[in-house]
Amino acid sequence: MTVPIRVVGLRKSFRRKHMLNPGTLKEAFVSRLRRFDSSEEFLALDQVDLEVRQGEIVGVIGRNGAGKSTLLRLIGGVGLPDDGQILVHGKIGALLELGAGFHPELTGRENIFVNGVISGLTRAEVAHRFGDIVAFSELEESIDNPLRTYSSGMQLRLAFSISVHTSPDILLIDEVLAVGDLAFQQKCLERIEHFRRKGCAILIVSHDIEQVKTVCDRVIWLRDGKIAAFGEPQGVVDQYERAMLLETERRRHADVPARRTRTGRELRIDENRKGTMEMEIVDVQLQDIRGLPIAELKKGKALVVVIAYTTRKTIRSPIFSLTISDENGETFLDTNTEQLDMPDIDQDTVANVHLERIDLPAGDYFVDVGAYAQNWGHVYDYHWHVYPLLVAADAKRDSSLHTPPRWELLPANAQDREPVIEDSNKV
Amino acid sequence: MSKSGLIYYRDLIRELVLRDIRVRYKRSVLGFAWTLANPLLYLVVFYFVFKMALEINIPRFGVFAFTGIIVWNWFQSSLAQSGSAIVGNRELVRSPGFPPDILPLVTVTSNLVNLLVAIVVLTGYQLTLGSGIHSQILFLPLLVGLQFVLILSLAYVVAGINVVFRDLGHLVVVLLQLMFFMTPIFYDASMIPDKYQALYRLNPMVHFVEAYRSVLLGQSGINWWAIGTIGIISLVLLMFGRSLFIRHSHRFAEEI
Repeated sequence: MTVPIRVVGLRKSFRRKHMLNPGTLKEAFVSRLRRFDSSEEFLALDQVDLEVRQGEIVGVIGRNGAGKSTLLRLIGGVGLPDDGQILVHGKIGALLELGAGFHPELTGRENIFVNGVISGLTRAEVAHRFGDIVAFSELEESIDNPLRTYSSGMQLRLAFSISVHTSPDILLIDEVLAVGDLAFQQKCLERIEHFRRKGCAILIVSHDIEQVKTVCDRVIWLRDGKIAAFGEPQGVVDQYERAMLLETERRRHADVPARRTRTGRELRIDENRKGTMEMEIVDVQLQDIRGLPIAELKKGKALVVVIAYTTRKTIRSPIFSLTISDENGETFLDTNTEQLDMPDIDQDTVANVHLERIDLPAGDYFVDVGAYAQNWGHVYDYHWHVYPLLVAADAKRDSSLHTPPRWELLPANAQDREPVIEDSNKV
Repeated sequence: MSKSGLIYYRDLIRELVLRDIRVRYKRSVLGFAWTLANPLLYLVVFYFVFKMALEINIPRFGVFAFTGIIVWNWFQSSLAQSGSAIVGNRELVRSPGFPPDILPLVTVTSNLVNLLVAIVVLTGYQLTLGSGIHSQILFLPLLVGLQFVLILSLAYVVAGINVVFRDLGHLVVVLLQLMFFMTPIFYDASMIPDKYQALYRLNPMVHFVEAYRSVLLGQSGINWWAIGTIGIISLVLLMFGRSLFIRHSHRFAEEI
């Protein structure tokens, strides 16, 4: 039985876009006269071997720029390798460019046909599966409205729904499983499982380490274009996480002075604080709904956490996190800005996190805050069990309607300016 | 290409051409009527400037110029748009299994639709006027087919090269503007002085415009020798251009 995906000794390098590379006829003409050698090679994949069997799900993890997307694309037939062999048997379905062919002026219906055919179905097959596609995407109401009226979440759901209704023998998935709300994600995972049971070979790139551990049969860790580990998910993930920790340590600034919080607690590295300190959390204040500082809150009341960040350099799209844990370290609330469109931070910034209700049993808690690099790459700063919060009992019993926490970012020295980014958890 | 491959190709062309046409007219007031409004507007201006003001003496100037305009428009629009056929469709080119060589084909086909609509209207006009249709109209599909080959062969060249040298698209637009005047759209080729005729007739569109006039308006005969030569050269250029295009198409995904 032939293996659906087999890659041997794959090598791929790119000519890095140089300023001197002729991009126009005029430049080419001029450079010919001056004999410029403007190539700068960048090795994206180096001696990569892998195999994906029928009915197997292989995950690919690694830092950004490690070559994961390039690997997937080459296997999908987009571009040619510089060396090595790619042997593929079977029809390829891909969740690489979701919504390829979509046009905002066309209706959802019209776009389904365009994207469906691009994804490899015949027009007749698209017509046949049309009902299922619309049902899966939960977009019956808006299917005849132009795509530009759809939220980005809706567009992604539509694109995803079309892709999962193709009948591939091989499925290539590039980081697109974090689409939609939890219920929709669950549906998607079930569909993937369905494909697996039908014998599809699945290769999936993901940054969600937990998901990779639970879903995949084997995992590849790609580091700088080379395979750093390949095998059992738990083992590979452990190696990866260990390396990430070492990376954080390596990048640390050794000369960061021990800080004190506004309540007098001392922040000591490796005891209640860790990170590279390229970006620092310099202040955390707990406030009630009126903006007054508190250390104690009645159960069910609103809490506002004001976090001040300072940075030494421009930080690209960081992830800010906030958790509430008890003295034993058990987490009761976990919110972060991963789903938001975070800007690059180059100045002192303040985040206001609005928690509409604190529905915790009475007791002693801590508010933990963190700032992470894009895609949880490494930790900039993390304060653990530093900021206490006492939740007091409340005699009243109200029903708890859980409103999602709301993040609001502002430049530090202009509290009354327009927020840089605001989240109301819309999808 | 396997049978299922052909069906895929056919459905893909159909969906992409439909997409082009729908998008073009989705929110415009005139909608699809704009297909006709465009050449008609040109006709009105030409009539005023050339027939009335400059007094170019051509019988039945209206249909004469209209034919030239619509034939030229197909040529001009296709080539002007082929520059962005690849670079403007990044996600398509980067999708596994997508054949990038289909994109210039889609561009030429969707502009062909404009020509066909205009021809239907023109023929209808001829019938109502009583000038009737001539048997030469049977040659129309052949003429369209040959012009298709010509335009497509050039479209592959423009689309492919524009990926690497992004100013080619602009250059092509300028060249087309100049070529407009070198094509007998609002004047007759006989008005060009004899000593320049040979040079003038190196322009393939000269022969196509004259051939269309012959077929649609019954004006004189078709120069089969010229058309045939253009056809053969185009076919060679098409095969060469397309294979070059396909051979380098794997680089497209990286370059855009």
